[in-house]
Amino acid sequence: MACKNQYHQPEKVIWRQVYPIDEQIYPFTERAFYSLACNHCENPTCLNVCPVKAYYKREDGIVVHEQKKCIGCGNCIRSCPYGAPRYNPELKKAEKCSFCWQRIDAGLQPQCVQSCPVDALQIIDLATFNQPGAVQYPPGFPKQPKLNPSVRFMLPRLPKTIGEEDI
Amino acid sequence: MNHATEENCMKTNSNAPEEQGGICPLSRRRFVKGLLAAGVMANLPCGLLRPIRSEAGEIVYEGSYETFRNACPRNCYDTCAIKTYVKDGVVQFIEGATESTFTRGGLCVKGYGYTRRPYSPDRIKYPMVQQGRGSGNWKRVSWDEAMDRIAGKILEIQDKDDSLLGMALSKYSGNFGITNYGVEGMMTSLGYTTRLTGTPCWPAGIDAQNFDMGDMWCNDPEDMVNARYVILWGGNAAWNSVHSVKYIYEAQRHGAKIVVIDPVLTQMAAKADEYWQIKTSTDGALALGMARYILENDLYDRDWVMANSVGFEEFADYLRNNITVEWAAKESGIPAQNITEMAKEFATAKPATIWLGYGLQRHVNGGATVRAIDALVAMTGNVGKIGGGARYGHLRTWGFNYHALLQKQPEGAKGVPGKAEVKGDFNFTGDDEGAALSYSDRSLNINKTAQVILDTNDPPIRMLWVACKNPFSQDFDRNKMVKAFEKLEMVVTVDQFFNETVNMSDIVLPVTTLFEEWTINASYWHYWLSINERAIQPMYESKSDIQIAATLSKKMNTLRPGSCTFPTEIDSREWMIKEFNQGIYDLFGIKSWEDLKDGPAKAKMHQASWHDLKFGTPSGKYEFKSKLAEEWGHKALPEYVAPREKNDKYRLLTPHTKFGLHSQFVNLDWTEEFNPKPFVYIHPKLAAEKDIKDGDTVRIFNSIGEVTTTVKLSTVVPADAILMYEAWFKNNGYNVQNVVDDTSSDMGAYKTGQPGVAIHDQFADVARV
Amino acid sequence: MSNMEMPLVVFSVLSQTAIGLVIINTNRQWTAKPHLAHLQEGSRQWGIVLAFLVTGMIASFFHLGHPLQAYTTLKHLSNAWLSWELLGIAVFLGLALLGLLTEKRNKSGMISFATALVGLLTLLFMGMTYSPPGYPAINNALPLVFFLLTALLLGASCSAWFAPPEKRAWLLRILSVTLIVGLVVYLIVPCVWLSGGTVMKQTAWAWILSPLYWGRIGIGLVLPLILLWRLQDIPAWLPIIILLGELMGRAGFFRDTVHAAGNIGGLY
Repeated sequence: MACKNQYHQPEKVIWRQVYPIDEQIYPFTERAFYSLACNHCENPTCLNVCPVKAYYKREDGIVVHEQKKCIGCGNCIRSCPYGAPRYNPELKKAEKCSFCWQRIDAGLQPQCVQSCPVDALQIIDLATFNQPGAVQYPPGFPKQPKLNPSVRFMLPRLPKTIGEEDI
Repeated sequence: MNHATEENCMKTNSNAPEEQGGICPLSRRRFVKGLLAAGVMANLPCGLLRPIRSEAGEIVYEGSYETFRNACPRNCYDTCAIKTYVKDGVVQFIEGATESTFTRGGLCVKGYGYTRRPYSPDRIKYPMVQQGRGSGNWKRVSWDEAMDRIAGKILEIQDKDDSLLGMALSKYSGNFGITNYGVEGMMTSLGYTTRLTGTPCWPAGIDAQNFDMGDMWCNDPEDMVNARYVILWGGNAAWNSVHSVKYIYEAQRHGAKIVVIDPVLTQMAAKADEYWQIKTSTDGALALGMARYILENDLYDRDWVMANSVGFEEFADYLRNNITVEWAAKESGIPAQNITEMAKEFATAKPATIWLGYGLQRHVNGGATVRAIDALVAMTGNVGKIGGGARYGHLRTWGFNYHALLQKQPEGAKGVPGKAEVKGDFNFTGDDEGAALSYSDRSLNINKTAQVILDTNDPPIRMLWVACKNPFSQDFDRNKMVKAFEKLEMVVTVDQFFNETVNMSDIVLPVTTLFEEWTINASYWHYWLSINERAIQPMYESKSDIQIAATLSKKMNTLRPGSCTFPTEIDSREWMIKEFNQGIYDLFGIKSWEDLKDGPAKAKMHQASWHDLKFGTPSGKYEFKSKLAEEWGHKALPEYVAPREKNDKYRLLTPHTKFGLHSQFVNLDWTEEFNPKPFVYIHPKLAAEKDIKDGDTVRIFNSIGEVTTTVKLSTVVPADAILMYEAWFKNNGYNVQNVVDDTSSDMGAYKTGQPGVAIHDQFADVARV
Repeated sequence: MSNMEMPLVVFSVLSQTAIGLVIINTNRQWTAKPHLAHLQEGSRQWGIVLAFLVTGMIASFFHLGHPLQAYTTLKHLSNAWLSWELLGIAVFLGLALLGLLTEKRNKSGMISFATALVGLLTLLFMGMTYSPPGYPAINNALPLVFFLLTALLLGASCSAWFAPPEKRAWLLRILSVTLIVGLVVYLIVPCVWLSGGTVMKQTAWAWILSPLYWGRIGIGLVLPLILLWRLQDIPAWLPIIILLGELMGRAGFFRDTVHAAGNIGGLY
């Protein structure tokens, strides 16, 4: 919602989406989630397949989509296995999480990172990141080594459950 | 008041009711086009974040917006300090204030919807009159005409009954901005009226904490990082106090053990070290069981208990004669071994703390439960320590002038004979006029609103003013409420959306959002104070509660001079300033209210409540044995009170959803995108019993009424319970109050004027449709 | 369910028809004994090819959010298969126009050959474009196979409009074999998917439960086979039936193939 508050995307054009993790992976219904936006992959498929070169990748890794070049062909939308680019029917163009690059350039944090009350979303430097237990492809997240998404995850913990019955 | 301004957004303001939808304000798209037209290139979908480059080539981010300070005025622990970014008179986006270590730059999934709220196409724009309650036959009227009708009715009541007791106020916590107590002030300024007093929220626990310690006073939540053991008992911080969770996480990182005790495996439970699925409403038994173990094994803090409490010996006797761990295990469903393990851990962790949630005490034995848990914390010497304490809430930072609240009745006003103390959880000043007073307001139980409307006579309640409340969504036994409303001759509701209560009203008055009014906000949990500035001009013809009061007063005095003492012209900014006093300034270490324009301020209070161990009880000590409790019809000791008897097949739980706060937020189109429909949640075992599959349409029914909705199978709900989140979905008849009755909780009358209500002691059956 | 992408359905099927027609025509005429062609025979053939191609291209503009900027789509030849596909189509169009203007009597000179080659390459580019990582079931050579089938089926059946009697048996053989191969491919592919990962399985079931899938098999493959067997020749109206089948099948290709992002949070 912080992202929507910043960019006012029209309905269904969601840049950051919170996906509940299935019970087969985390046993309690709707108690663990992946909050996902664009993964700003090392080798982004959106950038590769765009016929008008509307994407570019910055030095710091942010994959930027240039709206003014976009012709709304939808190739990136079909291509990204993470569903990051979405079609904006009002502008008739694709759009996706921008990593709030203008906020970053102004020395601020992206809205989502700043808004998270428990630091579940953090910006890391992949070059030096070394947190034990972090994984790149947790279950429920498409594995795409060719794209090499630039996100890392800490898996949810399970509480010890005590009660009369099996919980 | 004409709100047309020279700002772009008001240009499209139109007088025709048909054009209400979607005119103002400047939509984001139009705004972007405007930018493009102005020659500013938009590299991204919104040109909004285009940083302005100054001459020196530096990026200036903040310079292109006007910023304002706001505060979330909802009934929420976190009461966030907000920084609002406005451009061209339109709220562009908001952030949490970074100056508050509690808010720490971020809001919540509800709060970020504020950016949309003033501009929601569903917003009530003008005073409107409905021809036939529930018909949807709304007609726009001018403020003057609306006031004419209202004032006319008030005077009619005055003449008929020779008092204004036939006019009642239904108000609670829809807006906690201090100036909003001007609504009560308005009622007082009209005469002696009927007040629905008490609180549905936390009264049993307040009484309990008052019996035990003499006040409800919690530690600074930010000190939880120091706890070595944290029990979250009957509260879901991950949904209802998201900003507190970071302190719990930090305690966890430092090796503290986090335990959640709750009938439902809540989001907070999923993050705990241990989750205990307790049988609903048996928490008192569990606490007493732990206490017995701690007593037997000499794990209690004898020195503390000797020096700072009374009645421990009697409490110990009670435990020895009535409580065993085995009994507690049977009653609560928690294995005895776990009870003893945790009792030992809790007693030996220094410091240990328990966060008592409000759901915990929404039972017929809620107050007794809180007393038992308080006793657990006290006997282990954790009261008065940083990182310790029996945390519930506090009101130590609410010492304002209540200038808006304090008004005088008109001369010659009559009411209930005799001076009665009007009590309430947020009533700070009470009725403190002089001895010459011989009348008072009529106090009725807000938790039985429907029943009291039906039962009250001499005079009956003829007119209801509803503000900061939504009785049809929040009060209990909806079918009874429908009947009760039939008795009312006029219903006036002040609100922002056509919710259920508005739909059953005769007149609706459009009220301002937080961005459109001046007020101040404190929290009943953390220790911060925030100013709420007017960031944008009030949209359409909305007015704040005090502006409405002034408008009414003007009309009253025109029709009958002297009939209302509320000032007829007010400057809302001045009224906000008038709430401040030196006490507030000293407490927060600020020189003037203007300091708050730079950000919220934190009270210079010791982090630990009761750190001086000077309790507010009659004895001045912690009272395991409380004579006061006895006077109020309870046991003197924190004895166990049995839960409510089951009166239907399954227990029905109706807690809060993470997407809304009661009937606010869930109806916004932004929120609907993430939370479009309501569900009822049942365990797969229960579903199997009833031959129900995931996604089926089911009805939940009991003697009160029924609800029909879609089912979701969930492993977090106990196998013998039905769970529905209480919320108002626009265009959806879903309303949990159809199946919730108004049974009282045990405590609440002492400090809040009325007993509470056992919201989670409901039972129902479920069947496929 | 993804978007049915009707503009792309029309574009891909019709442009592949055009390509297939050129390939078959060229092949047919190169393998034929030289003989007197009808007057303007070449123009007719090129005209039909262009009719299919241009109709398809017009349809494709409806797919774009901003069709007027379509000319910019050639910018990313370094990396994007879509740019190559559009380049291929553009060159194919150019050569076809050239053919229309020069090969008026006898089609199948060098221009035909070149056009056929460019067409084949374009099919390859299309195959690469429509097999993105976002759709695990078709992130492979299957789209290319599907497109080749489309091209050959429609190319062969339309080529019958121009085939002289001595070439009809040859054409009949090609069409029949392609129909049988198509039938086998389309029946086997969902079964193969059923033994793949979660999203492949979901795709398999979506196809199996889709009326478009069975429509294409019934109307676009089985029915023509039966008709060919009974009639022992390719009637002029047969391409319409096959076209119907292909359009249904292509619509299903877009609508029923499951996107990977739909399964996020679930096991893959």
